[in-house]
Amino acid sequence: MCICILYLNVLSRISGSQATEVKVSEVEFNPNFVSRMIPKLEWSALVQAADGLGHLQDLPTELIADYEANEDFLRKVHRVLLEVEVLEGCLQCPESGREFPITRGVPNMLLNEEEA
Amino acid sequence: MEPCLENVKAIRRSKEEKKLLRKQIKASHTLLKHEGISTVSKPTKSLVVANGGLGNGVSREQLQVVLGEGGDVETLIMHPHKPYALVTYRTEVSAQRGHVLLNGRQLQCGDQVVTLYLSYVDTVDSESGVCAVLPPGLVLVEEFVSLEEEALLLDAIDWKSHDEEVTVQKALKHRRVKHYGYEFRYDNNNVDKDKPLPGGLPQACVFVLERCVRDRHVKVMPDQLTVNQYQAGQGIPPHVDTHSAFEEPILSLSLGAKTVMDFRHPDGRSVAVVLPGRSLLVMKGESRYLWTHGITPRKFDVVPACDPESPVAVTSDFSNHSNLTLSRRGTRTSLTFRNVRRTPCDCAHPSACDSQQAPPSPPSLPRSQTDACRLEAEYVHSVYEEIAGHFSSTRHSPWPRVCHFLSSLEPGSIVADVGCGNGKYLGVNPEVFAMGCDRSCALVQICSERGFQAFVSDALSVPLRSDICDACISIAVIHHLSTQERRQAAVEELVRLLRPGGRALIYVWALEQEYNKQRSKYLKETREQAPPGNSTDDHNQETKGLTGNSTDDHNQETRGLTGNSTDDHHQEKKGLTGNAVDSHNPAQDPSSMVMECSKVLPVKDSPVKLSVHTNRTAFNSQDLLVPWHLKDGGIKKGGRVSKMTKDPPIDTKSPVLAPCPVFHRFYHVFQQGELEELCARITGVMVQCSYHDQGNWCVILEKTRDR
Repeated sequence: MCICILYLNVLSRISGSQATEVKVSEVEFNPNFVSRMIPKLEWSALVQAADGLGHLQDLPTELIADYEANEDFLRKVHRVLLEVEVLEGCLQCPESGREFPITRGVPNMLLNEEEA
Repeated sequence: MEPCLENVKAIRRSKEEKKLLRKQIKASHTLLKHEGISTVSKPTKSLVVANGGLGNGVSREQLQVVLGEGGDVETLIMHPHKPYALVTYRTEVSAQRGHVLLNGRQLQCGDQVVTLYLSYVDTVDSESGVCAVLPPGLVLVEEFVSLEEEALLLDAIDWKSHDEEVTVQKALKHRRVKHYGYEFRYDNNNVDKDKPLPGGLPQACVFVLERCVRDRHVKVMPDQLTVNQYQAGQGIPPHVDTHSAFEEPILSLSLGAKTVMDFRHPDGRSVAVVLPGRSLLVMKGESRYLWTHGITPRKFDVVPACDPESPVAVTSDFSNHSNLTLSRRGTRTSLTFRNVRRTPCDCAHPSACDSQQAPPSPPSLPRSQTDACRLEAEYVHSVYEEIAGHFSSTRHSPWPRVCHFLSSLEPGSIVADVGCGNGKYLGVNPEVFAMGCDRSCALVQICSERGFQAFVSDALSVPLRSDICDACISIAVIHHLSTQERRQAAVEELVRLLRPGGRALIYVWALEQEYNKQRSKYLKETREQAPPGNSTDDHNQETKGLTGNSTDDHNQETRGLTGNSTDDHHQEKKGLTGNAVDSHNPAQDPSSMVMECSKVLPVKDSPVKLSVHTNRTAFNSQDLLVPWHLKDGGIKKGGRVSKMTKDPPIDTKSPVLAPCPVFHRFYHVFQQGELEELCARITGVMVQCSYHDQGNWCVILEKTRDR
């Protein structure tokens, strides 16, 4: 599960992750695609998630202005969003402490008796 | 026994000691009841340590130290999650010392205190030091026949019999089987008790039976024999011998190579039992009536190294054994002797008993959230988990109009596919960021393997932020929800995910399979008509993999596919709404139809039983169970198998052709207008368009900008 999804999940109900296995792969860089994604992101949560995975690197902690034209910045975002993947780990809800496992890249977000 | 221990017994027990004894006995009863562990009062080298397990939070290191007070510990077995440990001391004296010192001992484990209760257990093989925890009622007798006797018996079974009437011989790819005494009937899963096979049991076996009676393994001479021959790599699927067919015990004599037989309790516990050549296995009680037994088709087994010929129960956690090895399988022949049962079975295990179990009652339409969840768990979720692989193989072509919807989205759009199945639509438009979620772990795993972003979640509770999606799709999902409220909640959840101005595409299976005088491909496809290359996705739901084959398995169920369905269709609709409905009559008022069909029954009425649909015919009801014939030849654990079609059952020792399990899935098929009516009840959305596409009702709805 790429960090992008992680982050979208993160924003809904949970934050932070204790990732145990992370994979970084190469994904073709598409600046337009990344530009369009950025407004949908909650930046602080993305930073926090990346940091938690140990992949923050030089991603700015604040969203910069005029990012559309800043290829360097977009590449940093691209890496974190699309190239860093969590294969094994878990997502934790900050409210309940409930942990949702990620197994073979797939998060399981089912609750209690619904669990498969 | 040391004299001092004798004196312990002689001393009048104090109140505390009596209390401790009571608790120890209670613990051992619990172990027997829940874990199948039988304790004995006579000292042995092995003890069960109740409350001393990993499941109690006791660590191996900690327990090892404590147990060491008794003496040298030879083996210590601690299964994950279990509330006990099994220890074997080097000497019986050490075990006794351990018992005296540690019974009632309290241990600090983290912030908890646990009290250990120790009881002796039988050691099967004192040499290997492995404690055998056989399923209750199971006894293994080594060297029941001599080498000469074994040779005689093997000789007596003539696989190329001239008398075909005497035995029924069936050669399968799995194993060779021969019956004597009585033949099995595949249609009722039982022995034909009124038609014994001529010849009875072979003369050569009589001495075996007499020995069994003499040794009190059985009271009455068995009257049925099944001979199974297994080559290396062959096995038999797990099963319980039909209760109503046979009494207990069941006696199985192993000839030739040794093998490992797996016993499984319904709660998941399993025990692997090594069956050496020339041994007799006696199955009584739970081991005959409740635990399944089977032989995994393998060429090698893992067995304890120290004494290869010893019948030792190998526990499931191999990491706790220090001396395991591989044993190559050879040809094994088993002679299973049984007594045909003449009266209904009255065993103590009704859950596994066909005499005592009423046939499972058909499910009914739920009238509460809990019932709805339960119905869907059984008739949707667990089914998809079981059929995932086969299902995915029949879902490979995306539908054009769905693709069109996806392709018309702005690049960089965020799209959620709620109920994504095998991810068929996730890769359609590479310019958008598509995420899938599904209730089935197995299907989501397929998506992940294909490189798509997907997670497991419920459609009613999607863990994504509100207003985040530019578009959502829900293709053939909502019809699996069993109440109107839940179906509406699913659409509301899609709407929640959409940003203002975002759009959702929803497809549901239509009651009306014929529309505008055109029959859907679901109805049209028959054995004769399905042309090669006709994709299994072109019609709606029920596909059987490849063409040509598609109706084979459900020929038994379907009663004529062609021609009549128009009439049937109209007739059935008449029954449903009270009016003959012309499906393409634009003047029809959708809301009245919807009310007719979706009204909730008053509670005092008896529940509406769900009927099973016949594949490839028109629907005669909105709420039904639709069969899926699984075609990978195997029975898997879990998932309700509603019945077996045409092939022999697996719970007898009869020859088995690959069984074809049938699963039933719950569907609520939508009437014309019903989906729009549902959307109309949701605030802040607008139905952009609605249409009929190959047996589905479809809407595109938009989340309005001002809510």
